[in-house]
Amino acid sequence: MMERIELARLVRETTPSKYHNLVTRPMGAAVRTRVQERISASPHPTTHLDFASIDLLDFSCADEVVAKLLLGDPGDRPRFVVLVNVTESHRDAIEQVLETHGLTVAAISAPERRPCMLGWRTPDLVAVFDVVLELGAGDATRVADSLGWTVERAADALQSLALRRLVQAASGTYRPLPLS
Amino acid sequence: MHVVPVPPVFDDRGVDAFAQGFGEWPPAERVLLDARGTTWASPAGLTALLTAGQALIELGSSKARLAVPEADETRSYWARAGFFHHAVEYFDLIGKIPKRGIDPPGDLLVPVTAIRAAEDVMAVVGTVQEGATRILTTELELEAKATLGFAMALSEACQNIVEHAGTGGWVAAQTYHWKRRLGRKVVVIAVSDAGVGFRRSLESSEAKRVGERWADGAALESALLHGVSRFRDPGRGQGLAGIKRYLLRWRGKISIRSGTARLSVLPEWDDDVPLAEHLPYFPGSQLQIIIPAQEGQAR
Repeated sequence: MMERIELARLVRETTPSKYHNLVTRPMGAAVRTRVQERISASPHPTTHLDFASIDLLDFSCADEVVAKLLLGDPGDRPRFVVLVNVTESHRDAIEQVLETHGLTVAAISAPERRPCMLGWRTPDLVAVFDVVLELGAGDATRVADSLGWTVERAADALQSLALRRLVQAASGTYRPLPLS
Repeated sequence: MHVVPVPPVFDDRGVDAFAQGFGEWPPAERVLLDARGTTWASPAGLTALLTAGQALIELGSSKARLAVPEADETRSYWARAGFFHHAVEYFDLIGKIPKRGIDPPGDLLVPVTAIRAAEDVMAVVGTVQEGATRILTTELELEAKATLGFAMALSEACQNIVEHAGTGGWVAAQTYHWKRRLGRKVVVIAVSDAGVGFRRSLESSEAKRVGERWADGAALESALLHGVSRFRDPGRGQGLAGIKRYLLRWRGKISIRSGTARLSVLPEWDDDVPLAEHLPYFPGSQLQIIIPAQEGQAR
C-alpha cells in the first residue's frame, strides 16, 4: 500500500489556470508544502508523486518540489518517495536539480512500468537497484551472487541505496519500494 | 534637454550605442530619446527602451521624452507588439501613436510584457502554450521536446527578474528568418530589467572571493558559467544552468549584458566575442536567448 498524490490536482488547487504547469519557485514551494502535509498525514511509508498531466516543469520548480522534498526532515519514521508518470521533459529538469544536490530518487517513466534512478548515481548503485527490483527482497549475499561481486561490495551499494531511501532495509534484508 | 539617439536598427548590439548616448548615468538633464529615424527594433531593443524609461523614473529623474519612429510601418509594428501600451507609463511620447493593433504580428511569440511577480511568469508561459507552440513546431520545426524546453528557458529567464532584479522588467519573443546570417529561422527571446544588475546582486557573496578582478564581467562569469547565486540555498542558480544546457543541445546562444559587460555562451554559428567589457553603462540586466531552427529544416 502507498499514498498517491496527483500533482496536477495540487496545481489546480494552488493556481487557477487551464494549464497544469509547475513553474516558478513560489508555486513549487506551495505545492511542496501540500505534498509534505499529505505525506505526514499518510499511514503509508511510501508515496507515489504522480506527474501525469503536468505540462511543464521548470528547473526552479523541480528544485522546490522534488529536491527540497527529498532534503526535508522525514520525521519520526522512514518515508519513501517514487515519482511516477515522469516524461522525458520532466526528467531533464529533475535530473539536473538532483545532481546539483547529490540526491537520487526512484522514478517510473510515463510509458514504462519499470522504475529507474534519477539524479546522482554510480554504476554499482544502478546495478544493485536493478537486481533488487528483479529478485525482490533479499540480503547482500543474494545480490552479490547475482552480480558475481564480493558480499562487501554488494552490501556497500545496498546500504547506500537504503540511505538514499531507494530500497527499504530491515534486519539485513533489502526490499524494493512498493510500485503498485 | 539631453538627446539620446536610438539606433536606426535597434537590436541587442544596438544597446551599446544607445547606452553610449546617455553619457554619464544617471544623466544630469532630462532626456529625449530620439527614435524618429529608427526603422527596426528587435525584442532586445524594445525591452531596453522600456528599461531606460523605467530606470530613470525609479531614480527619481524627470520622465523621459520619446520621439517615436517616423516610419508608419515601424510605429505600427511597435504598437502591435505592445510596446506603446507600456511606454505611455514611462515616457512622454512625441509623435503620432497608433492604436494598439487588433492583430499582433504573426511572427510574434510573446508581445512586450511586464514581469513583476511570479504570477506574470506563469501568465507568459501560458501565453506561449496558447499561441507560440504552433509557430515553434510548424515554422521552426522544433520537436515537441524543444518547444517545452523553450517554455522552460522563458520561465527561468523571467524568474531571474523576480528573484534578483529588485524591481520589475520586460520580456518579448519573436521569430525571424536570418537568411544572410544563418540561413535559417530563429526564435529570439529578450528579457530586460532595470534592477541592481549582476555585480551588485552577487557582491556580498562573491566580491571577496574573486578579489581585484571583481567587476561586471566577473559577476556575469560567476552567474552564467559557475551557477553562483546570491542565495545561500545550493538549489539556487540552476535556472541559468538549465537554460545553458538546453541551448547547448539545440545549438542556441545566450548572452547577458549587465552594467558595462556582456557575456555570451556561443554556438559555432555565431561570431560574437565571449566577453565584452568596458562597454557604456546601461542599467539593470539584459538577457537574450536565440534558438535556431534545426539544421536542414525551416529554411
